[in-house]
Amino acid sequence: MAEPVVEVTDLRFAWSQAAAQVIDIESLRIVSGERIFLRGASGSGKSTLLSLLAGVVTPQAGKVRMLGQDLGALAGAARDRFRADHIGYIFQMFNLIAYLSVVENVCLPCGFSARRRSRAMRDGASVEAEAVRLLGHLDMAQGDVLRRPVTALSVGQQQRVAAARALIGAPELVIADEPTSSLDADRRAAFLDLLFRECAREHATLIFVSHDAALAPRFDREIAIADINRAPLAL
Amino acid sequence: MILTLAIRSLRNRKFTAALSVLSIALAVLLLLGVERMRQESRASFAATISGTDLVVGARSSPLHLLLAAVFHIGNATNNLRWESYRAIAARPGVAWTIPLSLGDSHRGFRVLGTTADYFAHFRYARVRPLVLAQGRAFEHARDAVLGAEVARALKYQLADAIVIAHGAGDVSFMLHEQHPFTVSGILAPTGTPVDRAVHIPLQGLDAMHEDAGALADPLAAIINADRDTEAGEAFVPREITAFLIGLTSRAGALSMQRTVNEYRGEPLTAVLPGIALQELWELTGAVETTLFAVSVLVVVVGLAGMLVALLTGLSERRREMAVLRSLGARPAQVFALILGEAGCLTALGLALGVALLYAGLFAAQPWIESRLGLFIALSAPSAYELGLLLLVGVAGLLIGLIPAWRCYRYSLADGMTIRI
Repeated sequence: MAEPVVEVTDLRFAWSQAAAQVIDIESLRIVSGERIFLRGASGSGKSTLLSLLAGVVTPQAGKVRMLGQDLGALAGAARDRFRADHIGYIFQMFNLIAYLSVVENVCLPCGFSARRRSRAMRDGASVEAEAVRLLGHLDMAQGDVLRRPVTALSVGQQQRVAAARALIGAPELVIADEPTSSLDADRRAAFLDLLFRECAREHATLIFVSHDAALAPRFDREIAIADINRAPLAL
Repeated sequence: MILTLAIRSLRNRKFTAALSVLSIALAVLLLLGVERMRQESRASFAATISGTDLVVGARSSPLHLLLAAVFHIGNATNNLRWESYRAIAARPGVAWTIPLSLGDSHRGFRVLGTTADYFAHFRYARVRPLVLAQGRAFEHARDAVLGAEVARALKYQLADAIVIAHGAGDVSFMLHEQHPFTVSGILAPTGTPVDRAVHIPLQGLDAMHEDAGALADPLAAIINADRDTEAGEAFVPREITAFLIGLTSRAGALSMQRTVNEYRGEPLTAVLPGIALQELWELTGAVETTLFAVSVLVVVVGLAGMLVALLTGLSERRREMAVLRSLGARPAQVFALILGEAGCLTALGLALGVALLYAGLFAAQPWIESRLGLFIALSAPSAYELGLLLLVGVAGLLIGLIPAWRCYRYSLADGMTIRI
């Protein structure tokens, strides 16, 4: 249980040489199976921190270790492959590719990662069957929902499709960047229930980012970015 | 994977994608069309005269003579004497000759006075002889053999009577009504000006003109009455417009040309058809170059249209790129996605353009043949045309590099941040 998933040490980052530092974190440690509530207002550097954790951008100083792997030691393409293999990502909104169907959207990570493809096929007969199974768990497989264009889905439905996509192929880490901010209170609670249940089923560690402190009690641990990030707040 | 995404993405934007494809297709159509017309017209002109070694007429510009005598464009200024024709035809090295007498017309089609030698010796497309689709060649002085297009356009059949008009205009007020001809044969289509000519025997032509003179001079009519009888008699016309020479050896063409040009009986001009045509292409070259430049510019405009379509979609798609990045897409794959879209649009544009070209040629073929006397063969694209297509394709991909590069920069700079 104590196996670390994320270990951050002395992390410093600025978007460019001239720009002010937005991230200065001495230490951040998240272990396997944890459900982390990462609280931060906009401008606190949370999106930047997530980009660093996902390996999309590289820090000027310090280290991000992900599942024991130092992301800084990997070349760009290898970091991208690492992200595809191990991280499921849910955005605040507009998660879905408009020109793909619901099932195709869910299957997308398996197109970028052979590992997740084979893990998705371990349970189901095919990647598509696994996608439908996951969507079913998220109450998204009834009626004609699967056949509808993704742009015709409600925001709540879109976020559930995004959750299924983040979970397919059982990545070790799911990062959700304010996935509930555009949902009403009832929907928000229901979405959290589903997300927790599926993360537990897939044994995924969850990093849930939000500025809504009311959600915090439902998580194992709350980390306030303002507390760990010593860089000044951007306005 | 990336290509599938590119195709799905384009299908989602059918309308703009279709417009881009259409603009590229029309540009390609114009480019290939101009090129095809240029090549086909040259090939058609060359094929018409390919069996002939020399064209001889009264002294004039070689190009003028060639166009008038063989392509029925413009009029020959002077005639040459029959004796001169016979003298040159009798020279060693001459395999065959065909006398041609022009100047009359029938309902807009040129009338060509000639002899049976025409049907025996005229070759087009280098080796192909004239073939009668129906009927026979000249037997009587009042026989007429119609080109395929004449018969088709005027709906003539064998044994129909036709009246020749004086002069080459579409409408003539001077008709040789007293001297009608009878359709004795109809030629198979050749795709050359032969299709658009009415062929009558020289004897018939002269007799017709003399009949016309006889109205004013009854005495002459009586004297000449016995001429209007069977063809093939020892009847001697006074003048012809030009004649074609076939040599026993093509190598003798230059010396024969000199012989004719130095002929003492009267000033004559002998034309090497290939060289005169070359002169013509040099004249038309500037126009062709201009047309080509215009069509190249149209291709550039078509590709620029695609660039605009791709670039305007790009800012909306930064979100899509961030999502793809979050799923593990490498910046290179994002780059490939946009480039793939440009590639697909260009490839579809090329395919549609070529399809339109062939559909257009197929549809316009009869019209071009009847109106311009050009036979456009539906041949496969030449190496040159394939090269042009390849160039357009490469240009499309190069232009696709611009939005692809911008997208690549975005996806590196944005990270996981979705900028709206």
